Amino acid sequence: MNTIIEMQGIVKVFPPNVVALNDVSVDFREGEIHAIVGENGAGKSTLMKILYGMQPANSGRIRYRGQDAIFHDPGEAIANGIGMVHQEIILIPEYTVWQNVVLGVEPVGLFGRIDEKEARRRVQARIQEFNFNLAVDAEVGDISVAARQKVEILKLLYRDVSVLIMDEPTAVLTPQEIPQLFNELRRLRDNGHTILFISHRLDEVMELSDRITVLRRGRKIGTVDTADTSKEQLAQMMVGREVIFSPLRQEQQIGDVVADIQGITYIDAMKRERLKDISIRVRASEIVGVAGVEGNGQFELVNVLMGLLKPTSGEFFVCGERLTHASILDRRKKIAFVSQDRASMGACLSASIMENVLMTHHRLNKRFSKFGGLVLDYAQANRFTEEVRQKLDVQMDSRQAVFRSLSGGNQQKVILGRELSLGAPFILLDQPTRGLDVGSIEYVHQQILRMRAESYALLMLSSDLDELFRISDRIVVLHRGRIVADLITAETSITEVGYFMLEGKPNATKID
Amino acid sequence: MRQKLINGLVGIFVAMLLGAGVMVMQGYQPIETYLALFNYSLGNWYSIATTLRNSVPLVLTGLSASVAFASGPVNLGQPGQLLMGALLATVGGLYLDLPPAMLLPILIFLALLGGALWSGVAALLRYWFNMSEFITTLMLNMIADFFTYWAISYWFFDKAAYSPMTPPINQNGWMPEWGDFNTSVIIMFIAVLVVWFIFTRSLAGYEWRISGQNNLFARLGGVEIDRNYMWVMLLTGALAGLAGGLVVLAGPHRFIKDIGANYAWDGVMIAMVANNGIVATLLYGLFFAILQTGALGMELITAVPSELIMVIQAVIVLVVVAGRGYLEILASKLAERRKMRERAI
Repeated sequence: MNTIIEMQGIVKVFPPNVVALNDVSVDFREGEIHAIVGENGAGKSTLMKILYGMQPANSGRIRYRGQDAIFHDPGEAIANGIGMVHQEIILIPEYTVWQNVVLGVEPVGLFGRIDEKEARRRVQARIQEFNFNLAVDAEVGDISVAARQKVEILKLLYRDVSVLIMDEPTAVLTPQEIPQLFNELRRLRDNGHTILFISHRLDEVMELSDRITVLRRGRKIGTVDTADTSKEQLAQMMVGREVIFSPLRQEQQIGDVVADIQGITYIDAMKRERLKDISIRVRASEIVGVAGVEGNGQFELVNVLMGLLKPTSGEFFVCGERLTHASILDRRKKIAFVSQDRASMGACLSASIMENVLMTHHRLNKRFSKFGGLVLDYAQANRFTEEVRQKLDVQMDSRQAVFRSLSGGNQQKVILGRELSLGAPFILLDQPTRGLDVGSIEYVHQQILRMRAESYALLMLSSDLDELFRISDRIVVLHRGRIVADLITAETSITEVGYFMLEGKPNATKID
Repeated sequence: MRQKLINGLVGIFVAMLLGAGVMVMQGYQPIETYLALFNYSLGNWYSIATTLRNSVPLVLTGLSASVAFASGPVNLGQPGQLLMGALLATVGGLYLDLPPAMLLPILIFLALLGGALWSGVAALLRYWFNMSEFITTLMLNMIADFFTYWAISYWFFDKAAYSPMTPPINQNGWMPEWGDFNTSVIIMFIAVLVVWFIFTRSLAGYEWRISGQNNLFARLGGVEIDRNYMWVMLLTGALAGLAGGLVVLAGPHRFIKDIGANYAWDGVMIAMVANNGIVATLLYGLFFAILQTGALGMELITAVPSELIMVIQAVIVLVVVAGRGYLEILASKLAERRKMRERAI
């Protein structure tokens, strides 16, 4: 097979002092599926963005089809046959599939009028050529996330792209939708397309790719043929040490009910029913996982529990205390909360690390203030920050450094340190490992399980089924604002939960 | 810290250079003119005392804006709050007859109260009707303007005067002078110190700062946003009111039409240049007072009109505020290059 793209000695520096890519050289062959794996922050996306012309490299050269090629913007890359599908899907929901696909390169007739017939026909032809299961006239707002992703791919194919970069395409899909995507990608490969596939999910990579390049902290560790490697070897290359893939949970006696969510219904300002009769009981020493495709009521559930939204009906108790209409400060005496969005909810990026650690403690913990709660005790705050740093092994320059300067994993450690040391009996975790690398995820899971062992009650929302299966005792499934299943983890399977997530009901045609 | 200092000094230098350019274009002597300016504002003890006294309303309204902006509320009502503070202090000085040791604190308190009442109106409008303080404080400025004008034209009008003004207040309520120095400057420094302490050392200040940067995070952390909002509005209103009160007590000792001059808007501008920092507000406030005081001398000694100072002020604002973002880009570019060199070795 011919080499189609060669990237040589690519260096990329992000100021002030992050070397995102350190002398990375990699080659891609025509007609292969080439996976680029690595932890978050390893440089996978950056490498691809440089190829795609989204970011300039500081040094290094790129050869494409035997010629030097540096693309200055994505448009140039697409014109030369390289396209990228990003993690977040960027389409116009009010437009139909064909309108989205032709947007920017519309076939025009007399006086610059868009030739709708011709456009529609061309898109339809492409859909048939690649055997995509897409309705050309469907409005994008009405179709599933998987279909929208297909539209994104179709957009690039319509522009005659021969190299397709996919940035974590499975992150937004349910387990049932992934095989179909993989089939389509294989078919594209068999048609001669080259596919560069960014992922950190090793199962997928092993299943789909022909070759795999592993990056770690901005350096290339190696390129291997998928046939000659194993998941364990890849994991070791990625993390730099051995990783154990086993359930971490240990049997433990479950205690009394701590958090009691009773029939919570929430109807939003547009009169849409976002939550319908949600009842969940979380007991001490228990981790209850909430599974569901994003947008099925998770956001509303968290906001109702935290007091940002007022439930239309229902009750919420923690340790017997009614919190349904309590102030946030009163809730925080009973609830520790790790949000999914560190930048807007979990931390103040522009404040110092110490100021971030101090939040909530400054009100609930008398030792942080002097003179009747009027003046902050900075000595205590600094000491506490130091405790958190040591306990959770946070890598930081100084306590006064801005929170933004920490890496994602370290940010999450600080947040966990703050929340878990509140001592609140109920711990609400909303996607606690989102955007973290493998090593950090493992660490977060250990911390969560430690809290379980210490008789705390935990409710964890996650869109990562592997995570839910690894650490939760029970899994409830949210589908269109309702709880459609309440399953014991040990007695269910990823497939079963996946069906509930997608269909809201058990799989009628059971295969096994 | 060092970056901020460089930013400020470069801004001032560039602005003065541009000012010099304007002067040369119009046939004036820039060096001579600047010498006249600084000589008039800093040349001797009397000049320094005058400059300090002139800095009081600038620093206090600047402080008001800085604390408000850094904590979240967009309080732009300093002009109105200043006038209400001045009016209340004046009225107290007209009707109360007490020894200075009692009257002065009362009048200062009334000035604080006047400003706080006026910003409190805006805070309540938001609390009850969810009206944005951005709009209400601006509109309350107009009301305060005409209300005080009316009050000094009818209620408290000095029958002996030819233009709208009140009679002079009780002499016991005049801010004492120590030689050339007016004690209103001491009150200003105390206010700066108190505000600095509240803002950087107190529990409330911590909550204000965090709320100003990330409101949702603070809310989820258990910060009582509404209550803090009220306190910030009251405090910043009181500061602007204090500025107005001190202008009356230190200066004309009566409420004269247009006593607020442009102090409050200059204060807002100072807060912007200072990026809402407490110490920076004090320093820029003092510097702007030097410029404004020196402008008069510049006009007296040379032929350059005092309006030129407004040009220089405006350019300082532009260069410092724009330069802040640019310096960050520059610093990150330098860091990028340094990292590449390190790597090459």
